[in-house]
Amino acid sequence: MLIRSIITLLHLTGKRIRILSTLAFAISFSFLSYAQERMITGRIVSTDNNESLPGVNILIKGTSRGTVTDFDGNYSIMVGPADSVLFFSFIGYNPKEVRIGSQTVIDVILEQESVQLDQIVVIGYGTVKKSDLTGAVSSVKTKDITKITSVNPEQSLMGKAAGVQVISTSGAPGAVPVIRIRGVGTFNNSSPIFVVDGVILDNISFLNSADIESMEILKDASATAIYGSRGANGVIIVTTKSGKIGDIKPTVSYSGEVSLQKLAKKIDLLNGKEFATIANEIRPGSYNNIDLVPNTDWQDLVFHTAPMQSHQFSASGATDRSQYYYALGYISQKGIIDKSNYERITLKLNNVYNLASFLKLGNNITIAPYKQQNAPNVTYSAYRAQPLLEPYFPDGSFSGVYNVGNPLADLKYSNDFNRVLRGVGNVFVEGRIVKAITIKSSFGVDANLTKVKKFTPAYLVYYPDGTPSQQQNIYSDLYKENNANLTWLWENTLNFNKTFNNHSLDAVIGYTMQNTTSEQFKIHGENLLRDGEDLWYIKDVNIYSDPNINTLKDIKNEVDPNLYYSMISYLFRANYTYRNRYILTFTFRRDGSSKFIKDKRFSNFPSFAAGWNITEEKFMQNIPVISKLKLRGSWGIIGNEKIQFYDRFARTQDLLVVLGQPEASNPAVSYGVSGNPDLTWESTKQTDIGLEVGIYKNKLTAEIDYYRRITDDILVQLSTPGYLGNGQGQKIRYNAASVLNRGLEFLLSYKGRFSDFIYNLGLNGSTVHNEVLEVGGNSGVDSVLIGGYLGNGIPVTQSRVGLPIGAFYGYETNGVFQTQEDLNTYPHTSQAEAGDLRFADVNNDDIINGNDRTYIGSPIPSFIFGFNADMDYAGFDFSFDIQGQTGNKIFNGKEAVRPDPYNFEKHVMDRWTGPGTSNTEPRPSWGGYNYTPSDRFIQNGSFLRLRNVTLGYTLPASLGEKLYARDIRIYLKGTNLVTLTKFTGYTPEIGSDDVLSNGIDNGIYPITAVYSFGLNLTF
Amino acid sequence: MKTSNIIIFSGTIAAFMLAGCEDFLERNLQGELTQSTFPVSEQDALLATNAVYATLREWHYHSGGYPILDIMSDDARKGSNPNDQFATIGPYDNFDITTTQDGLDRWWATLYLGIKRANVVIEKGSQIEMDTVLRNRYVGEARFLRGLFYFDLLRAWGGVPKVTVITPPLKLQRASKEEIYSLIEADLLYAIDNLVEKSALPSTDYGRATKGTAKALLAKVYLFKHDFVNAEKYALEVIVSGEYDLEPVFADANGVNGEQGIESVLEIGALGVESSDGPGNQYANTQGVRGSPNRGWGFNRPTLDLRNSYEPGDPRLDATIIDLGETLDGIEIKGDGTTPDETRDNENNLIEVECYNQKVWVPGDNTITQYGHNRRLIRYAEVLLMAAEALNENDKSGEALQYLNQVRERARQGNNSILPDITETSKDALRDIILRERRSELALEGHRFWDLVRTGKAPTVLGPLGFVEGKNELLPIPQNEIDISQGTLIQNPNWE
Repeated sequence: MLIRSIITLLHLTGKRIRILSTLAFAISFSFLSYAQERMITGRIVSTDNNESLPGVNILIKGTSRGTVTDFDGNYSIMVGPADSVLFFSFIGYNPKEVRIGSQTVIDVILEQESVQLDQIVVIGYGTVKKSDLTGAVSSVKTKDITKITSVNPEQSLMGKAAGVQVISTSGAPGAVPVIRIRGVGTFNNSSPIFVVDGVILDNISFLNSADIESMEILKDASATAIYGSRGANGVIIVTTKSGKIGDIKPTVSYSGEVSLQKLAKKIDLLNGKEFATIANEIRPGSYNNIDLVPNTDWQDLVFHTAPMQSHQFSASGATDRSQYYYALGYISQKGIIDKSNYERITLKLNNVYNLASFLKLGNNITIAPYKQQNAPNVTYSAYRAQPLLEPYFPDGSFSGVYNVGNPLADLKYSNDFNRVLRGVGNVFVEGRIVKAITIKSSFGVDANLTKVKKFTPAYLVYYPDGTPSQQQNIYSDLYKENNANLTWLWENTLNFNKTFNNHSLDAVIGYTMQNTTSEQFKIHGENLLRDGEDLWYIKDVNIYSDPNINTLKDIKNEVDPNLYYSMISYLFRANYTYRNRYILTFTFRRDGSSKFIKDKRFSNFPSFAAGWNITEEKFMQNIPVISKLKLRGSWGIIGNEKIQFYDRFARTQDLLVVLGQPEASNPAVSYGVSGNPDLTWESTKQTDIGLEVGIYKNKLTAEIDYYRRITDDILVQLSTPGYLGNGQGQKIRYNAASVLNRGLEFLLSYKGRFSDFIYNLGLNGSTVHNEVLEVGGNSGVDSVLIGGYLGNGIPVTQSRVGLPIGAFYGYETNGVFQTQEDLNTYPHTSQAEAGDLRFADVNNDDIINGNDRTYIGSPIPSFIFGFNADMDYAGFDFSFDIQGQTGNKIFNGKEAVRPDPYNFEKHVMDRWTGPGTSNTEPRPSWGGYNYTPSDRFIQNGSFLRLRNVTLGYTLPASLGEKLYARDIRIYLKGTNLVTLTKFTGYTPEIGSDDVLSNGIDNGIYPITAVYSFGLNLTF
Repeated sequence: MKTSNIIIFSGTIAAFMLAGCEDFLERNLQGELTQSTFPVSEQDALLATNAVYATLREWHYHSGGYPILDIMSDDARKGSNPNDQFATIGPYDNFDITTTQDGLDRWWATLYLGIKRANVVIEKGSQIEMDTVLRNRYVGEARFLRGLFYFDLLRAWGGVPKVTVITPPLKLQRASKEEIYSLIEADLLYAIDNLVEKSALPSTDYGRATKGTAKALLAKVYLFKHDFVNAEKYALEVIVSGEYDLEPVFADANGVNGEQGIESVLEIGALGVESSDGPGNQYANTQGVRGSPNRGWGFNRPTLDLRNSYEPGDPRLDATIIDLGETLDGIEIKGDGTTPDETRDNENNLIEVECYNQKVWVPGDNTITQYGHNRRLIRYAEVLLMAAEALNENDKSGEALQYLNQVRERARQGNNSILPDITETSKDALRDIILRERRSELALEGHRFWDLVRTGKAPTVLGPLGFVEGKNELLPIPQNEIDISQGTLIQNPNWE
């Protein structure tokens, strides 16, 4: 209904605009008339049923004059003697140029843009026609990538591709979201790898969305096995823009966008009076007159509306010897919390030179300096701060907030900056030896220089009663960190491509080397002479003396344990097609990694796949309705090796001992955590069966995949017995777990039109069943992975056999003890009293203890989905995306941690106050028993979100030409405008890099609603 | 470029590719020695020995970070403000802890961390080619410390897994109490044979274990084992060695002025640096005055019962408890805004007043200096009291009085109107007097709970606080250790 009314509205406004634009033309036309002009008329129809096409743009090439067809597809236009070519263009159709010559009637048949069938899909180390593809690959194109207002291009994948889950870890500007493809496959880093123009990377947060041409998500073994040991969590291939062959005339464009970000939702917390009411129940007499207490809304003080802007200039094109794409981008995002700002410049430089007909030289380079300021976690302190405390003393100084600290003071005294210079690029040479064989050698570099600077001045915040609070810093602190990481990657491939008769073979064989090194310098000093930034340098080398002026406290120099390794790989893939009907793919990669000892170092990752284009069969020729029907299947083994390089080493540990009179600190060294030299790869076996259907010339397409992947030998860090002497909380890595992920993915898309109203609808969804099959095995160590530590150090997830990864684990509540009799008849711990929660006696032993803790929910959604619609009409474009998930739970960690009197969420007002008053909300307390991790803190994590709404208008070409622009588009856009959820926190998206700590809200920076206005100019 | 050139070019690439494969994948550990390259030299042996001592400054070494031994006794309550660590440390106050109670696993794991570091010296250090006497001394220091760690494990949990090698097997069962006692005895006897006396140490090495330290600890082990003959023997050996004496001023026995001084038998050196891996010790910060001055978190609050247990006029009371309004080293103690100055029960009886442990006091008004407190694990006064106790148990009450009265004499600080010499010679009566003297002298130093347990008085004294006989003598084995062991470790009695 909504869609229909929008369409009607578009029809109406479109009509009006067209009348206006026709009028504008008529006027301009009259000025430009010449005596020798003649009239050309004609009708434009579609190849599709010879339907007439209204609204087709007709432009006299080389001029700014043009017109559009009427409802019957007819047009007329005056042309001068010098005019020679008419240019016909219409969205969804291939444009056409017609030489006028002496004709007076020019009828044109426009061919519908063929979609899907010939689509080229980028896969690892090559491309393939979509019809020849045997793997499960999702594509997201440039238009969708720039739809979302975000500094991170990853955000654009949310809700766009089946089987791909993008979860924000924080709403702070620059925060990198977590991506999970087809569930969670390992206990380690479960993020996919990115391949940007051939360079393998861990993240793409340095890329400007506007520079990306496409992102292809490789999901099944057939597609990912070519990346061998790094493909198990999926691969996202990012292709950046390049000059298009044929664009002789340079395309110069500017895109600008200004946005406002707002807190989308506030958490319903107690106000001053309500807090005093509850406080008086917990400790009678705390507040004498609850009507007179102040009421501070800390959320209002901490959050504010914040601007964001981005600008991008690009120039691209091609000559007969080269293609080029140059871009300069700038993006600046202020946080809705002070001091959480992000700013980035991106330089993009992609070139290809045809040195000879058989030899190409090229480069793809991105240089991105950026600056990120990190605010302290005041989201959490604003949540906890008591509402009846004033933020300031009358003199304007900060007033202490008991137990929490004044969030505004935290902000004021925090100065935390990251400055990064990231350069990613490659230079390649590609030669054709004989017609069928090309060889390519590419040398890529990922260089990352990070400078961290944190300064805290000396300060002291006083409590309202004038006593000093714990929120203080005795001496000013300066911390700096310089990290330099460098990866180089050398890839050499040979491609063979030949079609003979009905056989076609496309093969690639390659050899690659990668080397990653890193070095960090960390330095910490105290008691600077002045607080100003000009003096943020550390001078003295007076370690551990009494605090004097400018004291160096600490210095460290080490490698980043994640970034110190090398790899050697051999790869091979053959794709054989017979009569375009039968496709066979074999992929093989052999990887060697320095992270494992010699004997365990190399491993093989093969995959097999087959496809059957049923529509190519004779018996299908009689069913013209079905334009595409393809069945495909794949199986393969892929790996994962994302562990820290030193896990295999038994390390030592540097310590200090203080001896003597006078005392002095002396160096000491002993054994650190035991290593495990037996470590080897994780391996994932994945099976995929897919069906692709196209109906009515692929107007409606559907793709359905079933996948099942089992990851074995997962590298897990297991708790070991304390008596091994590794120290409190220390763990050792073993190849000792298995996980299953299976599910169904589907993608439906429909391309439709009513005359010149064109619309596309897309729906995608995927189910995930995630289950731990094994933990610990027979190694005599832990058989459960404990994680999800709350702020008070209490873990709330246990990954055990039969449960999903990171399953929430705690007590099940079944009501509130109403009376003493209740207590007497039901088992409880000695701490429970009437009004307290009743924990279920799960094992029926009449005792409530740790053994009664049980599975209370999964952080992994069982179904994620996205719906996308976009429509074009008479220069207007409108699109919206909806995205959501169901089946997951969120642990409200910020509510569960209560060592002290904090503010409460509103539901505490429904508390138990005597028998029969509440059977869900216990009597209020400042902490203790009722805050034992239980399902009381489990909330439904399902949500449905209006992810994006965009309304754009492209000025008619004729008007644009007047402004010397080929294309002018303005748009209004909303991001995250509406989220429907039962979750009481800011956002139901609670991601974590650590799969054992997923879905726990410990007070994360809220995701914002963004309102944007933008302008695209193409010259 | 011609096609043939491309072939040559690619051939060159291929040649490169095949060269140096294996070396390319050899990436060594950076910036650290591995366990296969350490310890191998005399210098390494010293570093490895030092590392065992470093364990003593780990926050968790101190009963998991919080002074739970005093909190469990009648000397102290949880402290801090009423809500701070209410659910985690609060239950120690009334024996309401569970097998997953906060701190248990930290303490357990950290004691074994120290044992592992000791085993590195004992197993690997002993292989190093170096001066034999020095090497034996290092091994002796390591064995002394291993004995010290096991003594804590033994007293807290009873028989525990016995680990005497760097890499013990998995699924190790608990050893018996007797086996652990024998291990401790053997370690300390080895230490006594191979360590030097304190006077033979250069002053830069003060803090290392000596013959005297090992004897004092061994005497204490025998007291717990009720082997009073040996307890007497080793306590007296320490006394007659002449290596130690009492500090003239009681406050200096734990204070800055007496650091590594004449009374110090075993002491943990620390510098005033607030850093997790620096040379500071958070033990005193945990108990430091909360609020103003901000010296710490204010745990371990002295009870009214402790206050009332002192004999009239005993100056040690004032040197043990910091009260609000008191001025120490020129700093006025104002206390914490979130802690009630007085706490009363439902019948309006005073049950707690805001006050702090003075034995961890370090002059200063910030948390940083508080990290510099040197915790005394054994001081000479305790050796005297151990001697007195053992002699009394061995029916030598006359001799016992001599050592007991030495302690009282120092306590009275020349004021002869207080703390008269004890003349009681009845064994039972004197036993109680010595125990009371231990309480007054050693309050809030972590002795009281175990003194009550080993003398069998815990059920009577601590019963009203929640102590259950047959259960609370030992702490529960941390639940996660039992879980990880897949049932190999058996829980202590009545803790299931």
